Amino acid sequence: MTDETIPAADSVLDARGQLCPMPIINAAKAMRGKPPGHVLELLATDRGSLADVPAWAEDTGNELLAHREEDGVYVFLLRKGEEAA
Amino acid sequence: MIFKQIRHEPLAQASYVLGCARAREGVVVDPIEDLGVDFYVLEAADLGLDIVAVLETHVHADFVSCARELAETTGAPHRLHEAARGLVRYDLVPLADGESIRVGQVEIRVIHTPGHTPEHCAFLVTDHARADEPWCVLTGDSLFVGDVGRPDLLVGDQALDVMDEGERAARQFASIRDRLFTLPDHVEVFPNHYGGSTCGGVNMSGKPASTIGFERRFNLALRQPDAEAFARFVRETAKPFPDDYRRIKSINLGLTARQKATEATR
Amino acid sequence: MTPDEVAAAVAGGAVVLDLRAPRPFAREHLPGAVTMQFNRADLADRAELVLPRDVPLVIHAEPEPIARVAAELLAGAGFRVAGRLDGGLAAWKAAGRPTVELPLLDVDALRARLDALEVLDVREPFEFRHGHIPGARLLPSGDAWSRLEEVPVDRAIAVVCGDQTRSAAVASMLQRAGRDVRLVMGGMVDWLERGYPVEREPARV
Repeated sequence: MTDETIPAADSVLDARGQLCPMPIINAAKAMRGKPPGHVLELLATDRGSLADVPAWAEDTGNELLAHREEDGVYVFLLRKGEEAA
Repeated sequence: MIFKQIRHEPLAQASYVLGCARAREGVVVDPIEDLGVDFYVLEAADLGLDIVAVLETHVHADFVSCARELAETTGAPHRLHEAARGLVRYDLVPLADGESIRVGQVEIRVIHTPGHTPEHCAFLVTDHARADEPWCVLTGDSLFVGDVGRPDLLVGDQALDVMDEGERAARQFASIRDRLFTLPDHVEVFPNHYGGSTCGGVNMSGKPASTIGFERRFNLALRQPDAEAFARFVRETAKPFPDDYRRIKSINLGLTARQKATEATR
Repeated sequence: MTPDEVAAAVAGGAVVLDLRAPRPFAREHLPGAVTMQFNRADLADRAELVLPRDVPLVIHAEPEPIARVAAELLAGAGFRVAGRLDGGLAAWKAAGRPTVELPLLDVDALRARLDALEVLDVREPFEFRHGHIPGARLLPSGDAWSRLEEVPVDRAIAVVCGDQTRSAAVASMLQRAGRDVRLVMGGMVDWLERGYPVEREPARV
């Protein structure tokens, strides 16, 4: 995966320390009112987010661009879709 | 690995909460009474860790420790190097040089580093989830960033001085040179103090972390050719004694009770 | 509250809320206790999602500072906190009172026994649609307390969520309601990591 294909984040949601389902509840809040194409970086330590976040992205029409793990922190890059809330 | 350095700025003191998220187990190192038992219990809980041990690098003289109380509240053992056993008036579960404590994938190895105090030790940390080589070392008051722990803090009670200043300086020099500087360059250094703290000399950096490699090259005290020159250098670059160090040390040794001045305000 | 006071409160309709970690809870807990994981950031928010407002709570958390802070957070969110169990599990047992165990299983054991178990997935419908264990039923955790009677009494039930945060709460509610229940540690994240099969058909009603 080359760096050119992963855009920089427009905003960051630090959900570290939050327990499921709060990271995706807060991700939904963070995306509300943002324009399509907005890139949100979501940081989470809850292991459940590995399943929650991709499901939420698919359901809401937000695109999961990339995800990685750094020292126990899961980093998700999400792009707001055209039809998303 | 979960690793959190907690800096208490008024005393430029650093304590640590570290552990393994999958195993839900962690240890606290050098907890300070100014932050208090509840602070560490809740901090660990927020990090998803149950405290399984309370460790101290040494018996502190510049801040009142809450290690004993934290151990009591959590039911975890309070641990200091076995040389502390003859010095303190309370029970502890001793640590031996070379002993390994395992919390999930995290391994903490005890390195006895006498000098600042006779029972002083450093904690070498390996996160086996990432590598089987050590990643960082908690150096307490032995090696600081840019400086070293002063060897001249006495309780004032001759019966408890197991080493004189000259011998402490020599031990400090040897401990750092032979037991810490022999670690790989990349190993990060996390001390108990930084910046303005009076536990070290005037060269102590405000940066609360460094590496063995950088300190080996640029720590001025350790560039001295021998123990005598080291002792002279440390004496000449010393800061004033920490406030109230005799009384604080006495409290931490369990010789005197701490004043519960804050009880009335709760 | 002493163990006797807790028992009396429970007899009067209070629910013990056990905020210890899943494994200690599973090993042994007060009969009828409901469990949730503690943190300061969102304990109250998560409690609002799954617990009824009108039931008085007795907090069981260790060590003591956690019980105190949890009681403050929940009372602040409008829950009725009747009290806290003083001295924790040790005090309860020293008073000669019984404890119960919640069986655990990992995803490998679940896979091996899938035919003999009714899998209850307590995530949200969109998570279930994204991929669930073949044959699983859906009961979102937020609905669990009010829909407990829909869960069969005569089947062995395995409760699952993303990891085990939400499933632990629901499993404890089901155990409290007399179901034959076990908690799947590691949940869908472990199941997917193993590469075990998932279905994407809509939820079975």
